[in-house]
Amino acid sequence: MNIAVFIKQVPDTTDVKWTVNNNIDRTKMDSVINPVDKEAIEAALRIKEQLDAKVTVVTMGPKKAEDVLKEAVAMGVDDAFLLCDSKFAGSDTLATSKVLSASIKELLPDTKLIIFGQSAQDGETGQTGPCVAARLNLPSVGHVSEIVEITEEKITVVSETDKEKITLNVTLPAVLCIYNYVYPPRIPRVCGYVKAQDYNYVTYNMYDINVMDSETGLKGSPTYVSKVFKCNDTRNGMLFDAGETSVSEIYQEIKKVL
Amino acid sequence: MEPNGILIYAQTDDDNRIEPVVKELLTKACSLKEKIWNQRIMACVIGERINYEEMIKELGAYGADEVIIVSDNRLKTYNKTYYSEIFTQIAKNHPPRIILIGATSQGKDIAAYVSTKLETGLTADCTDLDIGEANLLLSTRPTFGGQLTADILCKTFPQMATVQQNIFKAEKIDKTAVAKFDWIDIDKIENKIEVINRVVKKNSSENIANADIIVAGGLGACRDNGFALIHELARKLNASVAGTRVAFEKGYILKSQQVGQSGKIVAPKVYIAVGISGADQQLVGIKNSGKIIVINNDKNAPIFKYADIGIVGDLFKVLPELIKEVDKDKEV
Repeated sequence: MNIAVFIKQVPDTTDVKWTVNNNIDRTKMDSVINPVDKEAIEAALRIKEQLDAKVTVVTMGPKKAEDVLKEAVAMGVDDAFLLCDSKFAGSDTLATSKVLSASIKELLPDTKLIIFGQSAQDGETGQTGPCVAARLNLPSVGHVSEIVEITEEKITVVSETDKEKITLNVTLPAVLCIYNYVYPPRIPRVCGYVKAQDYNYVTYNMYDINVMDSETGLKGSPTYVSKVFKCNDTRNGMLFDAGETSVSEIYQEIKKVL
Repeated sequence: MEPNGILIYAQTDDDNRIEPVVKELLTKACSLKEKIWNQRIMACVIGERINYEEMIKELGAYGADEVIIVSDNRLKTYNKTYYSEIFTQIAKNHPPRIILIGATSQGKDIAAYVSTKLETGLTADCTDLDIGEANLLLSTRPTFGGQLTADILCKTFPQMATVQQNIFKAEKIDKTAVAKFDWIDIDKIENKIEVINRVVKKNSSENIANADIIVAGGLGACRDNGFALIHELARKLNASVAGTRVAFEKGYILKSQQVGQSGKIVAPKVYIAVGISGADQQLVGIKNSGKIIVINNDKNAPIFKYADIGIVGDLFKVLPELIKEVDKDKEV
């Protein structure tokens, strides 16, 4: 069985850099692997331990996104490649889903299972997985908290939100979005790091995956940022120093609002 | 067909009750409608055994002009395949300028599917909506971990946005809606997902999105008996306990208790923030609270800007004293 895992490199949020178009300038920032995406890899590797599977990790981003692929290879995946083209820059969810689904169609056509992390730490929209599924006309399940059983034809999963817990049978091929903190990722071993260091990470551009100029990047993105600003709402409230004012005095104020 | 109107996904629960976020979106849609000429507000309900009259009355009371109803026994509980495809077909049959969907897990599912099938833009988890240049929908959302806010426009129709509960306020108006029935050929939808078991969690009373008073803890409370003190204060005040993303990551609260852009937006009468710096996406989640009380030992913590009552002090000293004060108060 062929399994594809899509991962995202997320910028180190302590130091934001912007392009002139008000998009995040990822080239100038340090990237780390989106935490829940490691759990998506872990979920794939656990399936591989049960049945004969090949796990391929894919990411879209600048050349240095290779760093996150290294970590995936160190964890034990079979292959990892990069979707990199200057034309991809500035893609919104719709344009990103176009590129990712094209990579499945063109490079991994016999994929039975596509796994995402539930959402990215930087954007938090959690829409890319379901969008890719919609493009490929595949069923998708989000908030996956457990993979119960998998065969060549179908997968049984538990999807859990704070309202309900549902067990589902899904016909393969399918897309899953793995929820946070359910598949703690393994720590790579030294031999994993050695393999990752020497591994040949192939890069594919838009022609390799048959995506047109107009379908990707800023051109292919219907949404665009018109303005970015720092939110400056303030409430001019009272401020007490507990070292100077007793809590009993402060409580008299709190009582008025309770 | 020229796109016209604002289409809202009127999500209902198992008992066919309209989700609160739907009413909030309808109220917002009314104010958007005033800014663009000649638009109608459509609300789409998908389910089984829907009480049409009641549904039309209720959705109309919050501003819907037309209520589109799709009812079938296969739609008793939410099924992603059916619901997403049905809503897509509704959007094709009645092409709107704008689609608004509550950012529930169900709503997000549907929104992602619809935007892909209609090849249109989607802005998720918006914190404000307005009409901007060229009568386009202006969607505001925090970006980059909530440190900055972005205004986003969309160059395709329909322009789609999802919004969490409690971002907008629902207001009843004196109005009635007209029913429209739409027939969608459900037999043609190929369902590849079979539900084999479903357990509904009984936590609606503990839902922090509907709480009156919330005591919430952040990183500062994630040690020693910090959260024990928070729980004790909450008990005395009949309040709900919540926390930040860090508190969830460290296991002090459940995901359902997490406040902020990646958790829930809350709007209690009183929000007590304990050991929360507010540097992150947290502030988005509490802005709509009535009064905000902050306890933090760092007087430079950004959250103090949002405080109606700010207390600079060590939570491990302040909370026990505060609990004593509440006790004394109760005795009187």
